Amino acid sequence: MGILEIKGVDKHFGAVIALENAELDVERGEVHVLIGSNGSGKSTLCKIIAGSVMPDAGEVRIEGAVAAINGPKDATRQGIGVFYQELSLVPQLSVQENLFLAALPRRGPGLVDRAAMRRRADDLVQQFAGVTGAGFTLDTPVEELRTDQRQIVEILKVLATEARIIIFDEPTSSLDKRQVTVFFDLVRGLRDQGRAIIFISHRMDEIFEIGDRVTVLRDGRSVECLRLTETDQDTLVKHMVGSRITPVEAGGRRLEIGNNDSVLTVENLCGHRLEGISFALKRGEILGFGGLHGQGQSLALRILFGAEPASNGSIRLPGGERRPSKPAEAIRRGVAYLSGDRNRDGIFLARPILENLVAADLTKSNLFFLSPQRLIRKVSAVVKRLKMRFSGFAAPISSLSGGNQQKAIIGRWLTTRPQILLLDDPTKGIDLQSKTDLYKIMRDLAAEGVSVILYSSEDAELLGVTDRILVFNGGRIVKQLDGRQMNAFNLYQAAYGVTT
Amino acid sequence: MTNGQRNSAISSLWKRIDITRRPYLPAIAVSLLLFALNGFLQPKTLRPVSIFADISTYLPLILLAVGQTYVVLASDIDLSVGSSISLVNVVTVSVMAGLGGGSGAILAGILVGLLVGMGCGAVNGFCVAVLRFQPIVATFASGIVFAGLALWILPQAGLAAPDAYWETYGENLAGIPFVIWVLAGLALIVVWVAKLVFLRSLLAVGGNMQSAYQSGLPVPRLRIGAFMICGLFAAISALCLTGDTASGDPLLGAKMTLGSVAAVVLGGTALSGGRGSPVGSIFGAVILGLIGSVVFFAGVPFEYQNLVQGLIVLAALAGGVTVARR
Repeated sequence: MGILEIKGVDKHFGAVIALENAELDVERGEVHVLIGSNGSGKSTLCKIIAGSVMPDAGEVRIEGAVAAINGPKDATRQGIGVFYQELSLVPQLSVQENLFLAALPRRGPGLVDRAAMRRRADDLVQQFAGVTGAGFTLDTPVEELRTDQRQIVEILKVLATEARIIIFDEPTSSLDKRQVTVFFDLVRGLRDQGRAIIFISHRMDEIFEIGDRVTVLRDGRSVECLRLTETDQDTLVKHMVGSRITPVEAGGRRLEIGNNDSVLTVENLCGHRLEGISFALKRGEILGFGGLHGQGQSLALRILFGAEPASNGSIRLPGGERRPSKPAEAIRRGVAYLSGDRNRDGIFLARPILENLVAADLTKSNLFFLSPQRLIRKVSAVVKRLKMRFSGFAAPISSLSGGNQQKAIIGRWLTTRPQILLLDDPTKGIDLQSKTDLYKIMRDLAAEGVSVILYSSEDAELLGVTDRILVFNGGRIVKQLDGRQMNAFNLYQAAYGVTT
Repeated sequence: MTNGQRNSAISSLWKRIDITRRPYLPAIAVSLLLFALNGFLQPKTLRPVSIFADISTYLPLILLAVGQTYVVLASDIDLSVGSSISLVNVVTVSVMAGLGGGSGAILAGILVGLLVGMGCGAVNGFCVAVLRFQPIVATFASGIVFAGLALWILPQAGLAAPDAYWETYGENLAGIPFVIWVLAGLALIVVWVAKLVFLRSLLAVGGNMQSAYQSGLPVPRLRIGAFMICGLFAAISALCLTGDTASGDPLLGAKMTLGSVAAVVLGGTALSGGRGSPVGSIFGAVILGLIGSVVFFAGVPFEYQNLVQGLIVLAALAGGVTVARR
């Protein structure tokens, strides 16, 4: 009997099925790997175990007994510890305070036992002795640490809870080689103590190095559970792909763009979690950014748009070799950016549709006064082209459906006549018809000579709409796929860093 | 010494001072400066008698600012503290008067006042942490309610507090002015709270509420706790003010709310939460008081005093922000 069993778990987010009849069986004293493409349900499954998401159906059993996990506190009480990639540290507090955040050593009536805290923190940090790097002390505020050092604090924070079931979600993404070695030794130690470890990684070699068994998820279902000693990388990729991927039909892919000149050249671009990427974008090309979620794709787009700083590297755009320092500059140089996270990045929810349509164009014009009539004349062609349906320009944009809202934001950019359109997972959460319309718009724009970069977490979309795919892994481009190579098998293989 | 050596010496000095970890240091420096300037303009202000008088003048705002700090550390804000003061004042004085003004009545009045203060805090905390109202809006509204209650209880200012109450407050206890005892008690409480698990948890909530929740901290309970402490300090502040004014006044605290927020910010606490210390707020309140005094003794014409005072506060705030960004 496993220490953790998940049976028949379903989870829907609106119309999206995240998990459907998911199964997982983790034993004491094993490292159990979860593997699957974007949207396969890995992180939803982990969140259910961690208590931050409630399942719609099914059960979680711990040591054979049904466990009701209704929040992070319940999970902690059940002996479940979770390594979070980003969320769980408090920047202003010191390393040792972060390690024991929810369970500070106490003495007397509610006082912090500083001596005990220091002693226990020191014991924990000793496990990474020699590889923590400069400036890492127990008293350093976490905000002064480098990314890899924060990740070490996160790891130690989980260890401090003495949990019997530990979920590590991409714990090594920022660690260097020596730190990974130390960490894997630690994990093996935990395993030998009889703890159960659930491990998620974007690197196939790591999976085979540390894992005992692997469960493959596809479309929210558990399709296979294998011993890693009895399988190989290609088999795992095949299980992830299954037989289902049918690239979306967008039509009109052109293969002659190879001879067009480049409108954007990027060389050795580095930033927070981006480790030097280089590529060129041709006129009229739709270039795909692929790979597992959060490998630097969105970040690269945001840097190109001047919305995030780069630490190094060059970007050649219309208007010279300067890196755009802010979005307004990128817009003037012919770049447009569209995010799937409309509420954060795109939309003025309470404002009229018209204002949402012209917002980007205004940064180009020098007019002091605006005439609504002239603006409407300007945007009406775009609106017709996008087949947008709404009652009037004065209605607030929040009255539109998600798909029409996204069209309005695209319309906003089309009024600026961009040369380069950056699309950051643009079809997230919109209806099928709008998606199909968007694919058509992308192809049409490309045919007119607009260059598009599309990052999508939906692989069928990447394979169907783009001319070429750059696959990201750990902040690097590990593979370029084009022509006949563009299939799901190659995409997943590269996404997991398999370089053969 | 070469330039490089000098630079590294300066930077190591900076490191030792380390304003990011002791954000209250500039406030202490500025208050010392203002105190000296005050003494230079009017040497009589350096005599113990006038120092004690100053302390008793500043004490209510000091107390209020310390209470406000705990709320701000959790990234909330309490705009109802001034009204809480008014409410506590009229309730306390009414209870004392209603029970006959003896020593038992005085104790009962103090006790009820403290409970009312904590009650105000509990209401605010409930609205903000459980009902999830915006702290600025919720406490602004609750402040109007508290002020309305105060006016309802005592429509007109002037109900006298028992003589024994304000006489004790104004006199010496064991040879030391009573206000000094209050100040010492405050210092002890601030030091004690700083060692509590509660404060560390509160800093975590203010620093990153999401991670505090994911780490299993009882976030709503902590925020309510901070508001209740703030209410308690507002009540103590009201009791001190009552000792000064010796009467009930339903508009007593009306103008003190923003003063408390300004004192907190002057003391180096970030309004965004998670960073700061009540020690800084004590000196922030002292700075606000001393600025008024300096402007007065510098002979600024009466009609310009508010303007000059405001400009100096603005400069002090701007200076604090610049230093904190280093």
